[in-house]
Amino acid sequence: MIPLQFVTAFLMIFMGIYAFLYKRNLIKLILALNLIDAGIHLLLISLGYRLENGVLPTAPIYTGYETLKGTPMVGPIPQALVLTSIVIGVCVLSLAMALTINAYRHYGTLDVNKLRRLRG
Amino acid sequence: MTLPFLIIIPLFGAFSMPIISLFGKKLKEYWALIISGATLGVAAKIFYTVWKTNEIILYTLGSESPIGKGVKFPIRIVWEVDLLGALLALTITFVGFLAVLYSLGYMKHDTGLEKYYTLILILELGMLGIVITGDIFNFYVFLEIMSIASYALVAFRNDTWEGIEAGIKYMFVGSVASSFILLGIALLYGQYGTLTMSYLSLKIAENPTIVAKVALAFFIGGLLFKSGAVPVHMWLADAHPAAPSSISAMLSGLVIKAGGVYAVARIVFSIFNPGLHAYLKAFNMPSINMEAVGWVIVFFACLTLLIGNAMAVVQTDMKRLFAFSSVGQIGYILLGIGIGTLAYGSRAGELALAGAIYHIVNHALIKALLFFVAGAVIHEVGTKNLNELSGLARKMPMTTLAFIIGAAAIIGLPPLNGFASKWIIYESSAMYNPILAAIAVVGTVFSLAAYTRVLFTFLGRESEKVKSAKEPEMSMLIPMLILVVAIVVMGLLPWQINDKIMLPTARMLEQLNGEYMVALLKFLGGA
Repeated sequence: MIPLQFVTAFLMIFMGIYAFLYKRNLIKLILALNLIDAGIHLLLISLGYRLENGVLPTAPIYTGYETLKGTPMVGPIPQALVLTSIVIGVCVLSLAMALTINAYRHYGTLDVNKLRRLRG
Repeated sequence: MTLPFLIIIPLFGAFSMPIISLFGKKLKEYWALIISGATLGVAAKIFYTVWKTNEIILYTLGSESPIGKGVKFPIRIVWEVDLLGALLALTITFVGFLAVLYSLGYMKHDTGLEKYYTLILILELGMLGIVITGDIFNFYVFLEIMSIASYALVAFRNDTWEGIEAGIKYMFVGSVASSFILLGIALLYGQYGTLTMSYLSLKIAENPTIVAKVALAFFIGGLLFKSGAVPVHMWLADAHPAAPSSISAMLSGLVIKAGGVYAVARIVFSIFNPGLHAYLKAFNMPSINMEAVGWVIVFFACLTLLIGNAMAVVQTDMKRLFAFSSVGQIGYILLGIGIGTLAYGSRAGELALAGAIYHIVNHALIKALLFFVAGAVIHEVGTKNLNELSGLARKMPMTTLAFIIGAAAIIGLPPLNGFASKWIIYESSAMYNPILAAIAVVGTVFSLAAYTRVLFTFLGRESEKVKSAKEPEMSMLIPMLILVVAIVVMGLLPWQINDKIMLPTARMLEQLNGEYMVALLKFLGGA
């Protein structure tokens, strides 16, 4: 059976892609990008979290792991990956907002359909 | 160990740039020049080492061995440089250095130059990271560093609507493509529990599941977006002309290669490894059908080289024409990679891969030269509309000469470097399937038509706009002349370069002996 968090993650990704394809407001497009990213982050985080023999895994702190031997541990690598990915996401988000502000100054609108002076 | 300096030097240079620029007006330009020159030196040394010893350099970040303490599999980030990575690093640093040199004159009248030079060094750093990394998440991080720097550079002239609109388009398309790639990485990690490319290829061969196939589809989809293959090429034709010309040269010459076709080749050959899967298939074991992957790549390649070159013919904007021509040339490179996957292990496959790698290098040089020419024309005349540019040849003879050499090379006239790589791609595709070769030649016909049009414009009757034009200053002419010399010299020794550099590179990538994996397995045995 597929764990619930995987279903949620893919639902978020598809919602993001839907919004990206059908919404025409620049701010909503940025939100769509973030939704896709958040879905992937949820997927990655839930990869490290597995219920083993009905025991909840502990947090991935190596020093604590020594004392809690025997209990399963949450995978530390996905969390590191997600932290990195969140930082990248913030960079993209801030750049996108900056460009959106600039676009609003030039065009006076946030509708992507109006941003069509370039052919192509 | 010189490998870390390939990243350290541009990183240090990029973030010390704002401080350096406080000390003097001219200092930041020379600092960028010194940093990119030093990076070029490091890349040349790494390429020479790898080429001479014919061995993969494996570097583990923060430790001696990539194997974790107490476990039997690699957990650390590794950088693995084979000949392909080293060759691309050399090309990237060479064109990057020339782009910085060109910027001295070209960007003189712009403000915010310390940000410009910071971004250009970060762009170079991101591409260098992509070509040397052996860890798939590290690859994603460098891909994003490169992408974010290039989004910002496309929109660098934020007082024009053109830059902003192209930047927004590029950023949304590029971010979605990056998300696809991240999703592929997440799926592979969830299935196999490792991020090291060479170990991943072993794990996938052990147990090829449907998840691996879905991940491959996400990778190929995302990377075709990033390389500007045809159904999704519209951002490229907007973004590359809108950027300043020195950046267009880097975007068209390098970014779509390092973050696009190079990554396709690396993922198809080093992670999914057609040789291993053909071997498994021969013994009726579960395997991934790499032939289907090859056909997908060939299909998009044919579409790309036909439509890209055909669209170039009808453009009236010079930079837009060059950008569409870049789309077309990406088609040739993808065709080489696709046939390399399809005809794996045969002479045709090896030749096709060598031709693709050769064309990556050649096209980087040629397209950089052509965009430098376009930049010189914009700088001196102030327009890039081909209808207003007739008769430039009298006023700007050196620039026109550079354009003629570049156009002849990209079409593939014999004494220049474009001929050899295109010939190898035609030859190998004719060996595999003559129809593909015919399609490739038709693409070149369109390309010829497009460039002949620009040539006639340059040689035509003088128009009003070009009356006061003159040659650009030395810092813009010198990079063009260096590229012209490189194109002519590479054109004079085509088969020697192919036998000495490109074929060994293709063989190393194809890993007939599994070298990419063996470099890591050495550590596994000792752990």
